[in-house]
Amino acid sequence: MKYAVETFSLTKIFSDWWGRAKVYAVDDLNLQVRYNEVFGLLGPNGSGKTTTLKMLLGLLYPTKGRALVLGGDGADPKINSRIGFLPEESYLYRYLSARETLDFYGRLFGLPAKVRKMRIEALLDMVGLMAVANRPVGTFSKGMARRIGLAQALINDPDLLILDEPTTGLDPIGTRQIKDLVLKLAERGKTVLLCSHLLADVEDVCDRIAILYGGKIHTQGQVRDLLQQTNKRQITTDAISDTAIEKIKQLIRNEDADCVVTSPMDKLETFFIKTVAAAQQQAQTTSGAVSTTKIGDFLTRQTVAEDILDKLVSPSGVPRTAPVSQEGSPESATTEKVVPVESSGPQPDEQLLSKLTGSAELSQPEPVVRDEKVTTQPVESKAALQEQVKKNILDQLTGRSKPQGEDEEQTDKLQAGDAGDA
Amino acid sequence: MHSIWAIATNTIKQALRMKVAAVFLILLLVLLPVMGFSATGDGTLKGRLQTFVSYGLSLTSLLLCLLTIIISIYSVASDIEQKQIYTVITKPIRRFEFLLGKLLGVILLDVILLSLFAVIIYTITIYTPEFLNTTEAERIQANNEFFTARAALTVPAVDVSRDVEDTYKKLEISNELPDNISREEIIARLTMQKQLAKRAADVGQVLVWEFDNVEPLAQSMFIRFKYDVAVNPPDMQVYGRWFAGDYQYIKYGTESKTPIYDRIHKHSVRNFHEIAVPADVVPEHGHLAVAFLNAPLNNTVIFFPPDGIEVLYKADTFTGNFLRVVLLILFRLIFLACLGILASTFLSFPVAILLCLVLFSTACVSGFVIESFSFMSENISVIYSYTIKLVIQLLPKFDKFNPTKFLVPARLLSWSLLARCAAVMVCIKAFLLLLLALLIFSYREIAKIIV
Repeated sequence: MKYAVETFSLTKIFSDWWGRAKVYAVDDLNLQVRYNEVFGLLGPNGSGKTTTLKMLLGLLYPTKGRALVLGGDGADPKINSRIGFLPEESYLYRYLSARETLDFYGRLFGLPAKVRKMRIEALLDMVGLMAVANRPVGTFSKGMARRIGLAQALINDPDLLILDEPTTGLDPIGTRQIKDLVLKLAERGKTVLLCSHLLADVEDVCDRIAILYGGKIHTQGQVRDLLQQTNKRQITTDAISDTAIEKIKQLIRNEDADCVVTSPMDKLETFFIKTVAAAQQQAQTTSGAVSTTKIGDFLTRQTVAEDILDKLVSPSGVPRTAPVSQEGSPESATTEKVVPVESSGPQPDEQLLSKLTGSAELSQPEPVVRDEKVTTQPVESKAALQEQVKKNILDQLTGRSKPQGEDEEQTDKLQAGDAGDA
Repeated sequence: MHSIWAIATNTIKQALRMKVAAVFLILLLVLLPVMGFSATGDGTLKGRLQTFVSYGLSLTSLLLCLLTIIISIYSVASDIEQKQIYTVITKPIRRFEFLLGKLLGVILLDVILLSLFAVIIYTITIYTPEFLNTTEAERIQANNEFFTARAALTVPAVDVSRDVEDTYKKLEISNELPDNISREEIIARLTMQKQLAKRAADVGQVLVWEFDNVEPLAQSMFIRFKYDVAVNPPDMQVYGRWFAGDYQYIKYGTESKTPIYDRIHKHSVRNFHEIAVPADVVPEHGHLAVAFLNAPLNNTVIFFPPDGIEVLYKADTFTGNFLRVVLLILFRLIFLACLGILASTFLSFPVAILLCLVLFSTACVSGFVIESFSFMSENISVIYSYTIKLVIQLLPKFDKFNPTKFLVPARLLSWSLLARCAAVMVCIKAFLLLLLALLIFSYREIAKIIV
């Protein structure tokens, strides 16, 4: 089993009632997703992304060719129990509440009641829907439904996560959170196959991508290889004096190369998150989803008491070496340690608030983008810095973890330890 | 198993929260007690009880049938149309488990609702006599003719084929056969004539019927009959002298240890009547004879239609019979649930509903429809008997197993009849439907939109 997902000239032809007017939705597709990588399936609308996913999961039967998922048939319950799937829209039972929805899916996996309860709480907390957990899903906005859809896909702590347009309908914080989650899961040895046409999302998280058009793969490869401009170099520094800049310019001219010096712009994403952070600090109430950066304990923990969890959670992949993962982990580990562990209040909102103010009082290093500190790494370094900024702000928004008892505290330590190891 | 149970409970929640079941529930909860007060029947206590049970059970049965059809179809078809099935079927659950879960949910809901309404109807029925000002006679009548489960003994048609053959031969020899009629038709006519003759009594003539294995539980038993007459009497009433007792006495005049019933009654013609006979006329060996003497006062031949004579006796309690009748309704619901599930595996919601309602109403009149084929001219009926008739025969006979048909005349629905019904309706027909549904569902493409 070399690949987590592998297709062999997979073809899907849609025909009309008479068997005419053939549409090649997917045409002779050979896809290889390695274990332990984040793979992005890109393409314009109607290029066959969703059809491919449906065939992988046995919702559609291929006209020709076949697909292997985790070394088996995607419709086999044994394989299914290791897959998490988020369809292109969150198709949920409107009459169930958020908590009941997750409970229903948990029961389909045959999770024991205790594990189910623990995971549901962790997931609700993670997707920020704890406050509306008992409201029928039918009353949710699209983004909120999307969050439940995501939680639903994670309830079994899957080895392979298949996400179809995961960020549609989500606010930027939710989008950021999904991206963080994907990275975090990948770091833990999970495989993620996501399909999207929002290129920014894909660029941030994917190791490898394939671009589909008309049901055919047109490009496939490492994101870095495809995007890196090998004839250019970028240097990002902290705020340095004009004389220093002149010196550097001189150096570069000696190399017989051109150079432009500007102050980098904040990404709109960063700016948005900052603004919402400010609003949340003013304790403005919202009936919508609360943004958190939490990731379900059971998804990030490695040693668990419950036997079923043991099986599900045990790291199945090799330690991850992809560069993307290295960006996130150290920061998250440190911030987790910094956040104060406060006694839990009765109301989740109050709790959140107290933590917000608590973390504000702490003399945490303010995440300001400065122009000094010379780094020599090319492309990733900037991303890494931005990553840290975003993380810090997000952490500030809500606090890294919501302590609910001794158990949680323990988990946090574990979590931090794991992240440090990785 | 856990996933089947998860789907089943979800289906029940769906039915209750989508207010489909709630509407039916409230409707019945309001209507049943109202009917308990408003039903009067013919004014007697028995009539009142009969009317209530008849309408109450029919309404419950009908509404639950409709509910079962709607819910079983909706729960599968909406999952497919609204695509919740994408997230469900990609969990570790096999497709047949999904369908079985849906079926189990629908059946469980049916069991809960049916038991609820059965308890309500039963309670109202049992307590009606206590709340009403009734005479002692009315109560006794109700106890004898309603709060009981009476087994019915009927008389099989007499075999007259040899007689008919003889007559035919005689006619042939004497060359009196009509030319323009086929042999089969002549035989059929002769058979009818001969059988009628066996059921007819001229003035002063006696007809004797024998019944075996009569074991009445109560003090009295009943002879249920209907008179037909050749010439209408002036006041549409005829006199009949009825005997009942040991067959040896009635047939051969030997000594009888048990008493013999002997009384003259006056009854109107062309209506069913019952006469109560004390149960101690039944001899120990259970071989009872009933005889009818066309009293000389009458001026006409009296004959009994094919179903015109029965002996009824108490064989079980009302409660036992009621329980079995409720089970009969449950079998019907199980069949409809399987039918609905099958339809929803390859049809969209409205089309599946339409199909199931058509089949349901056909099954409700299947006996009538099948009978009507025999009156068609030969050429057409050949076509029908190989197409529609086959389909109808595959459907269960809801009219034959009509719950009110047993409770209103206090007929015994025996365990063996119930078991036969269960075997045919549930174990064979419903199971086949379910099997077909599982096959279709296992091989179809889930993500394909169905029309």
